[in-house]
Amino acid sequence: MSSNLRRERLETAAFRAGYLALLALMLLPLLVVVVTSFSGTGRLAFPPESYSLMWYVEFLDSVRWLDAFTNSIVIGVGTALVATLLGVMGAFGQEIDDGSLGSILAPLVLIPLLIPPVILGITLLMYFNEVGLRGSYASIVLAHTLWATPLVYFVMRSVFSRFDWQQLDAAQDLGAGPVQSFVHVVLPNVKHGIFVGGLLAFIISLQEFVMALFLSTPSTETIPVLAWTEIRQALDPMVSVVSTFLIVISVVGILLAVVATNLEWLSKQLS
Amino acid sequence: MAETNSQFPRSLEGVRESLGQQSGSNRALLLMAPLLAFELLVFVVPFFILLRISFAEESSDLVYAEGTWTLEAYSSVLTSDLLWSIVGFSFLLGVVVTVLSVLIGLFYAYAIWRSTGLVKSLLLFSVVLPLLTTLVIRTYAFNPLLAPSGTLNELLLSLGLISSPIQFVPGTVGVVVGQLYIVLPYAVLAIYSVLATMDWHVVEAARDLGASRPRSVLEVVVPQAMPGIIVAAVISFAWSVGAYAAPDLLSGNITFAMQVEGLMLSDMRYPLAAAFSVVMLLLMLASIAIMFTLLNRLGGEFELA
Repeated sequence: MSSNLRRERLETAAFRAGYLALLALMLLPLLVVVVTSFSGTGRLAFPPESYSLMWYVEFLDSVRWLDAFTNSIVIGVGTALVATLLGVMGAFGQEIDDGSLGSILAPLVLIPLLIPPVILGITLLMYFNEVGLRGSYASIVLAHTLWATPLVYFVMRSVFSRFDWQQLDAAQDLGAGPVQSFVHVVLPNVKHGIFVGGLLAFIISLQEFVMALFLSTPSTETIPVLAWTEIRQALDPMVSVVSTFLIVISVVGILLAVVATNLEWLSKQLS
Repeated sequence: MAETNSQFPRSLEGVRESLGQQSGSNRALLLMAPLLAFELLVFVVPFFILLRISFAEESSDLVYAEGTWTLEAYSSVLTSDLLWSIVGFSFLLGVVVTVLSVLIGLFYAYAIWRSTGLVKSLLLFSVVLPLLTTLVIRTYAFNPLLAPSGTLNELLLSLGLISSPIQFVPGTVGVVVGQLYIVLPYAVLAIYSVLATMDWHVVEAARDLGASRPRSVLEVVVPQAMPGIIVAAVISFAWSVGAYAAPDLLSGNITFAMQVEGLMLSDMRYPLAAAFSVVMLLLMLASIAIMFTLLNRLGGEFELA
């Protein structure tokens, strides 16, 4: 019995050490990025030989990085708008649908996520060449929407599945039109879900780089694309500065989403 | 954008005409039409164009010769030793990363499932945060860590475990670690989402009946988590075979994605790039189908036992 107990205690210790080690390893690369951004020298080393803010100053002086930052934001907002509109409408339509069209929608929306981005990038580059969209913001927005829409769509499917649809019937029985009943009855209940979906779409677009690499031109290149071309030339701490900004944006995004979903939960508890 | 918009009113009209005044499904179709039109125009049609270009002849002044039909591109893909060795390396990377990703992912997802409170939030956070940072960042951070003059080598040297630095980066170890870091968060979340719906009491019952802890995990948790494990394996495999960033930054070898990028952007040989992509996609689909069948059978056997 006591040998059993000792073995169990050993197993517990090994299990805990295992996942704590993994936790450290998961966060280590991000820590490297943030710490090296404060490097005082031009060599990317961890831990840095000295610390300074010189690379942050250089970042704020660099027109190219700031342009790329603007491009990323424009494309991210565009993707969030298009993907949210398509995803919310599609999920809502499928919810009130009684036909079979909805059943082919889910796999069709999902498949692009499983295809390597390089193949998608090639395919879309050839396509946009044909239809004359090459080099535009729209080409990258459409490519990113292909990846962002599934996320919005599946978030909204789960949000709509928790909504009490009798409320919509009641509103329509009382004479509200389709638009009116959606805005006043459905929307207030699902707006946090829409917000989280849109946020996810924005972050997907912000971080995606393989498709953007194929589709962008020097005037539409996004932060990850510029970071990539810079890394291939020389590995200096400037990339870490940019990456730190992207990590901060993601952390703020997660916090916003947590707040929004908890608010949703809270409003459900209160009503 | 313009296509989606012009397509929308047309399909809207079609829906109205064909369904008359049946308001419910009419409205549903109308709501789904933009998404369907989008997937059709930005996903399905482009793939047919890729397929078409793969059958076109190469051209010296244009990226491909329009209106021509030939199997030349396919025959040069299938007979090239270089391309086959690239395919081989891509698949090897895919298999190694998938196996590691599923095993570690299962362990980590199980740890998240079993933990509570702050530890659980921290573990989940450690998975979600890398997921939301760009591939570029996730990959290059391994350079200062694993390079011959990097942190790990200095640590090992100062501990006296090795006498001269080991070159992890660029090298196979580096690319496997880098790619694993890219796909692991997806694998963990896929498995965790299934575990989260599972009843812990079943595992407890197995232990009460005398099963050791490793055995109860292997025979109770793993079979039930099989749907999540399959998703994790498919995602890890598909993305690792098609990996681009990690091999380029961390490996000495060339993968399919790097080769096809060169064919497209530097050499402008569109038909060859298209044919190579089609062949690769078919090989990947076949491997995923095999993997799916194997894992499903594995899950089934465990259920019977």
